[in-house]
Amino acid sequence: MVGLALKNLSFYKGRSITTFLLTFFSAYFFIVYVAFMDGSHSSMLKNALDVYTGSMQIYQKEYREEGGYDYLINDTQKVFNLLDNTRGIRAYSARVETYGIASSGERSAAMMLTGVDFEKEAKLSELKKALKEGVYDSKGACLYIGSELGKKLQVKIGDEVSFVGSAIDYSFVAELFKVCGTFKTGMYDFDNQSAFMNRDYFDEIFLSRSSASYIVANVNEMEENDRIAEEVAQKLPEDLRVYTWQELMKSMVELMKIDSLFGYISMSLFFLVIFFVVMIYGFINVSTRIREFGVLKSIGLSDRAIDRLLLDEIIILTLAALALAVPLGAYTAYYFEIHPIVIPGMSEMYKQYGVVSDTVPTRFSPLTIGWNAALVFALNLLSILYPMLYVRSFTPVEAMRHV
Amino acid sequence: MIKLKHVNKYFYQGEPREVHALKSIELEIERGEFSVINGPSGCGKTTLLNAIGVLDEITSGEIWLEEREIAHLSPREKTEIRLTQMGFVFQAYNLVPVLTVAENIGFVMRLQGYPAEEIRQRVHELASILQIEEKLDTLPSLLSGGQQQRVAVARAVASKPKIILADEPTANLDSKNSIKLMEMMKRLNEKEGITILFSSHDAYVVENARRVIMLDDGALV
Repeated sequence: MVGLALKNLSFYKGRSITTFLLTFFSAYFFIVYVAFMDGSHSSMLKNALDVYTGSMQIYQKEYREEGGYDYLINDTQKVFNLLDNTRGIRAYSARVETYGIASSGERSAAMMLTGVDFEKEAKLSELKKALKEGVYDSKGACLYIGSELGKKLQVKIGDEVSFVGSAIDYSFVAELFKVCGTFKTGMYDFDNQSAFMNRDYFDEIFLSRSSASYIVANVNEMEENDRIAEEVAQKLPEDLRVYTWQELMKSMVELMKIDSLFGYISMSLFFLVIFFVVMIYGFINVSTRIREFGVLKSIGLSDRAIDRLLLDEIIILTLAALALAVPLGAYTAYYFEIHPIVIPGMSEMYKQYGVVSDTVPTRFSPLTIGWNAALVFALNLLSILYPMLYVRSFTPVEAMRHV
Repeated sequence: MIKLKHVNKYFYQGEPREVHALKSIELEIERGEFSVINGPSGCGKTTLLNAIGVLDEITSGEIWLEEREIAHLSPREKTEIRLTQMGFVFQAYNLVPVLTVAENIGFVMRLQGYPAEEIRQRVHELASILQIEEKLDTLPSLLSGGQQQRVAVARAVASKPKIILADEPTANLDSKNSIKLMEMMKRLNEKEGITILFSSHDAYVVENARRVIMLDDGALV
């Protein structure tokens, strides 16, 4: 049957070329599209996690629901020891947060002020890289302010910002800070509300000593994160709880799911069109050959053998198109993963979506390319089902009389 | 060898344009016969031939091939009967356009699973008899009508079927080619013992047949 299928493909060139090209382009664009979509998601995730959130955070159980100073982690050293003894943890650091009003001149804004260990943060997060101006790791009443918050307060390096809030013992705190740096993570809300300061001075004015609102950690391999989080959770005292990045960034996970969903819906529509075009071409081709199938049936070719013949034809065409589209699509995805497309100004335009770079990230994944190709293959096989049933519906005489 | 019992065939049954194409046909054809179904155009010759060749459904009745009723078999079993027991020659030749002459002749043998060498020998033997040896690598579309019909005959006899059904095989041939075709069919009938059943209203074919089955308006006369 394969030999006859090859002869048919060469004889009916128009249909063969059209099906080949449709399959080639749909497979190629699918591979490249999914590579860009996956790339932008993993980049969003990487940015979000690396910049600040980390891959897991440890809290007092009630802190995230109740908030406030009553639920701080007091024995941070115990947790540090535990993390030191857990394989796969890359870095960790304790952070302590407080909220208050920041003012400069006649402008005021709500601010989340976080005391951080600059040395540990450098290994853990990308706050250092996010610094736009100023020197990292200043001592004393130095404030590192989010770029959007800085704009709101209209402050620049060296300006003074007053902060009013409360200490751990709920006493009143008022402090005058000097702006030592501005940072831009690309996460708009974060840059619009946050400021950092040296942990030692934070402890001094807010009386937090060595307690922490939470401890943030990063792992070496993201694929291992859930397993490591589970291991840490088992070792933790009962009053502490581990939150993985999926729980911490539910909205981002949902956003990515929705984005993927819409991406796949638009791709499905694209495939639906391709599927029907391939099917219509297959059907037209089969219709013009009904007499021929009638002859084949009359001289002893069974319906099953004719099905095989049609399947062989579409399989040969699809495999030939995929043999070209897969390496080409894989190469394109790989090339753009290494040399991403740069669109100047893109990060500014899409900053609220967590876009921190002007590059369009691409993810090269052989496994993903494999299932992309398998899907195209399956759709093409599916497209020949109706023509096969159509041929089966004729008796040999009906088929030979078909006009 | 072939026995038709009370065979009826209606087209568009139950509709205003209903046609009773075969009317209670009772017919027996013995092994090795060289017969022709004769009658005016539209009398049901092709319909009868298609019924015997299980190419089309009949409305009622029975068709027996040897000891087996074949009209009510499954499509798969009918295909098997056509493949292993019958050879067909059609008025419009009906060769497979993508296959060469040699491939067309050997096609049925290939479906039956003959070894390639045996197919090759048989194809050459038949091509020699039918004088189309030099056309073996040619596509059917490049042959004349007479040559295409000879290829169709070669395809029909290649696997040595028990019966050859030929529907108006000379209709598209000139008289010279018609005579050649008839002589060849006679030879096959005599040499290979193949039962041959024509449908034709060609006077030459009718004259050369050993038995003439007359059909008129769907009924045997």
